[in-house]
Amino acid sequence: MKAFKIKRVFFDDLGANNPVFAQVLGICSTLAVTNVMKNTIVMCAGLIFVTGLSNFTVSLLRAYMPSRIRMMVETLIIASYVIIVDIILKAYLPDISKQLGPYVGLIITNCIIMGRAEAFALSNPPGLSFIDGAASGLGYSYVLIAIAFFRELLGSGSIWGYPVLGDWWTNWSIMVMAPGAFFMLAIFIWIVKGVLEKEKGGEKK
Amino acid sequence: MKRGAKTQQRIFTVLFMLIITLVFISVTTVLYTLTKDTIKLNESLRVRKAVLYSGGVPLPENPKEIEKIYEKRVREIKDNQGATLYYEVLEPGSSAVESYVLIIDGPGLWGAITAAVGYDSSLQRLTGFEVIDQNETPGLGGRISETWFKNQFRGKKPPLSLVPEGTSANDNQFQAITGASYSSNGVKDIINSSSQDARKIVKLKQ
Repeated sequence: MKAFKIKRVFFDDLGANNPVFAQVLGICSTLAVTNVMKNTIVMCAGLIFVTGLSNFTVSLLRAYMPSRIRMMVETLIIASYVIIVDIILKAYLPDISKQLGPYVGLIITNCIIMGRAEAFALSNPPGLSFIDGAASGLGYSYVLIAIAFFRELLGSGSIWGYPVLGDWWTNWSIMVMAPGAFFMLAIFIWIVKGVLEKEKGGEKK
Repeated sequence: MKRGAKTQQRIFTVLFMLIITLVFISVTTVLYTLTKDTIKLNESLRVRKAVLYSGGVPLPENPKEIEKIYEKRVREIKDNQGATLYYEVLEPGSSAVESYVLIIDGPGLWGAITAAVGYDSSLQRLTGFEVIDQNETPGLGGRISETWFKNQFRGKKPPLSLVPEGTSANDNQFQAITGASYSSNGVKDIINSSSQDARKIVKLKQ
């Protein structure tokens, strides 16, 4: 029973309840950090860390937390974890920290984290909340990585900083700028909703 | 009776917030204190690497080696207040100046660009260029930190002007980045203003 529940929570956040293409949360960072893959991966790792642990902590405290100040407490918890990520990046990955600039700090305002804390952690045990948080982070990550892959490929002709398309390739500058992310995200949602979910609907009938 | 319970609840709420805040602030403070020195070291290493690179010194991988070379071959020239005016990179094993390095900042697209610009001993030609700090768009203006862009400045004679990316440039030109004219112009202005500063160094020396 419990294993079943864990599995359901995990896969729900990756697919049907995906934070980016189903709940359409956290779009701001989807637009901002997906033009180069390296930055995207570090950002995603940071987000998985913060969503998992903040969900865990909120769930641990949920029995004692006075409900009128719960949002303040949640923000405090999330902000603390983000500061931890920021400090670790500054100390051990200074170059990437420089490149990500203000976006690491902006994880605090990522709606996915607060959304999961409110919607899940407040009413579920810590272990399950941790899995939900981490799975939401993963669900966010693979969408972002897919978008970053195409944006870097089309916009810079490279993957992970290594040029893969030859000299004949003309870089699509628009892919590197914010509008490129809008297009890629829309195409992604279109494929998922239009192709994959239609098949599922057909089965039901 | 009812009132007492309500007051108690309020006190609990305030206490709860206070304790939670204290706990989390302590955790982040401890972590900050533990990593403070590493972060400071990273910052200074960044500047030192930039000075050596733009001064034309090949950089080893190991940070400790870089520190060693820096200690041996770089002289920081300071003004009366202790702020660094420019850096002198010495020839290996002697006290003759091989190159001068200036750290200059100027406007970019989103924020300031800070860069190290190196000049040979005659203060005529560039020995190198390295970006220390920039907030340009990653993939567009952010490419001013890429090796091909930085390397093209070696041997150039400022004041410089721009040519399109992928075309050949003479001694007074460098290749701009396509789609990032603002950032490219920012770099141009930094280099051209550094050549005026370089002339001031000559005057100081005389």
